Amino acid sequence: MTPALVCERLVKRYGDKTVVDRVGFHIDEGEAYGLLGPNGAGKTTTISMLVGLLRPDEGTVRVGGIDVGEDPVAAKRLIGYVPQEIALYPELTARENLRYFGRLYGLPRRELTSRIGEVLDLVGLTDRGDDKVGTYSGGMKRRTNIAVALLHRPRLLILDEPTVGVDPQSRVAILDRVEALVGEGMSLLYTSHYMEEVERVCTRVGIIDRGRVVADGTKRELVAELGGTDRVELTLDGDVTAAAEKLRAVEGVSESVVTGSSSIRLLVAGGRHLLPALLAAIGDAGAVTGVEVVEPDLEAAFLHLTGSTLRD
Amino acid sequence: MGKSTLRALLVVGGHELRSRLRDGTAPLIALVAPILLATLFGLALGGDDDPPLKATIGVVDLDGGEFPASVQREALNTDELKGVLTFRQYPDEAAARSAVDGGESGAALVFPAGFSEGVGAGRGGQVSVLESPESPLAGVVARSMVDRISALVQARTLAVRASLEAGVPADRVQLFVEENGAAGPALSLVGDPVSGGKVDLAVHYGAGMAVMFAFFVVGTTARSLLTERQNGTLDRMRAAPIPLWTALVGKSAVGFGLALLSMCATWLSSVLIFGASWGDPLGVFPLLLAHVFAATAIVMLVASRAKTDAQADGYTLGVAFVFAFLGGSIVPAYNLPEWLRGVSLITPNGWVSAGLSELAGTGAGPSAVLVPIAVVTGIGLVAGTVALLGFRKGRFA
Repeated sequence: MTPALVCERLVKRYGDKTVVDRVGFHIDEGEAYGLLGPNGAGKTTTISMLVGLLRPDEGTVRVGGIDVGEDPVAAKRLIGYVPQEIALYPELTARENLRYFGRLYGLPRRELTSRIGEVLDLVGLTDRGDDKVGTYSGGMKRRTNIAVALLHRPRLLILDEPTVGVDPQSRVAILDRVEALVGEGMSLLYTSHYMEEVERVCTRVGIIDRGRVVADGTKRELVAELGGTDRVELTLDGDVTAAAEKLRAVEGVSESVVTGSSSIRLLVAGGRHLLPALLAAIGDAGAVTGVEVVEPDLEAAFLHLTGSTLRD
Repeated sequence: MGKSTLRALLVVGGHELRSRLRDGTAPLIALVAPILLATLFGLALGGDDDPPLKATIGVVDLDGGEFPASVQREALNTDELKGVLTFRQYPDEAAARSAVDGGESGAALVFPAGFSEGVGAGRGGQVSVLESPESPLAGVVARSMVDRISALVQARTLAVRASLEAGVPADRVQLFVEENGAAGPALSLVGDPVSGGKVDLAVHYGAGMAVMFAFFVVGTTARSLLTERQNGTLDRMRAAPIPLWTALVGKSAVGFGLALLSMCATWLSSVLIFGASWGDPLGVFPLLLAHVFAATAIVMLVASRAKTDAQADGYTLGVAFVFAFLGGSIVPAYNLPEWLRGVSLITPNGWVSAGLSELAGTGAGPSAVLVPIAVVTGIGLVAGTVALLGFRKGRFA
């Protein structure tokens, strides 16, 4: 079966700076793929090249077997793109927004009217479809943002940070809808700052850092790379930077990063047994007020691969 | 262009037009403001106080023959010029030039030595015109006179040559020609050239406002383009299965159409309110069309360099006002310092103003504005090309 998306050796440079460096991955038909990376890692630039908004300096993108560079119009017909920002007209109603973009996607008038009703129902906004988008809550805007991308029944849905700034209730609703769409056979590319969202929705994950895909696999495969390494979350009062520095010197600690004004995250081989040594190493740099040892997970794998936390 | 692309262009254009109508910018900036301002300027500054109603034309008669005297006599007897035209004699061209530059005479005609004799012998002759931009009417009258003289000289020359060819002896040809209807300079300056030379300030300000507001009207489209880029809706359009340039072209086409409507409405209002003529419509319309094209391209060039919609607004305002001032859309070009008058021709406004002066001022036909139309279109093509490069770089197209 033709993969939903294949990108190979994508490169994008701005002047001397290479922001996307030989990025390549593929998404099978009906597969949900997560692209994880900290801010500035190159996720949005990569997505812009995938959806035909940006011309890559090198490399190719094929959507459903169609080369985006050679036939962008045909390739874009297969993609439903949900941008990171709320790309809607606030002075128009949701229905009017959907009608405008639906017509740009070439949907016939009669089909469009019924399809608008379907997608409004899909995102739970049937009752508010005739209200101006400017009056919506953040979550409702996000759901409308997604609805626009679903109008033309795309084969591949690309969601760029779809839950930023939404309330927990809307977030759950969005994830439920996305899971349902994947369940119905739609292919998905999902980027998020929220590891738990990617873990829930995606079957395979690519980790991108400094413009490169540093790992690609199922959650199990990525976590397996950690071996017996645990993630240790420390909370302390004191100089967290100095404490993190001291902890890095402890044998068995592979990563030590400051995650907040009073928190440090560690990757530690045999975490539980090493706790006394860790507490001793901090010494007078701070007073430890909390310790949590977490079994190997995607968050730990990310830290291991990139040396940073996702929200850096 | 495919059917689906055309449909997408119409969708984008329709959406843009509805937005402009919904937020009120289209009727306000395209119709109300230019017509109102042109009318107010016309009422305040147009009409009978038009300064160039008196014209003094210097004459340098180095010929001393019958021709220059007849020309002056005929002109002073022309009904249309009675009380308007005065001739002043100067001994040589330098004195005439000095008088024109000093404002003593609005223009001057120089008849070279042997002119009448040359015409009589069928060799033709040449009359020079000295003009000053500060006295446009005098220049128009002087040029009209030279046009008539030129026509007469050509007719006379042709008659003499034809007579010689027919075997009339050279020493009898002058008499023969005069006896047969080419007696002298039957100068008739009545009618269009002179009466059309009165460029009413109502026309000047009407055209000036139309030309300036074309930039503002297109500016609303530039602003909208930047707003859409900031809001992400431009990228959403570009991600649709349509060519990347569809959004840019669809929106620009609406700006172009509204600007053309604005200019034509201001033109029509000038005709209806003041009874003023901008000249032959077959010359005026292509000139306005060329200007709208150039204004669209220039404003889009500005937009392609702007980072935000507010910046696009500021740039458009700056360009529109500077071009309007330099190009004589606000202050008539002949009131500007001399060094600025040359600068006016780097702006489309200056060329449109010059073209309309020809059409409304001299009653010239459409062919008189071919050069202004070509130059203004050229300015638009250059600006448009540079804008397109900027748009590609700035992810507009």
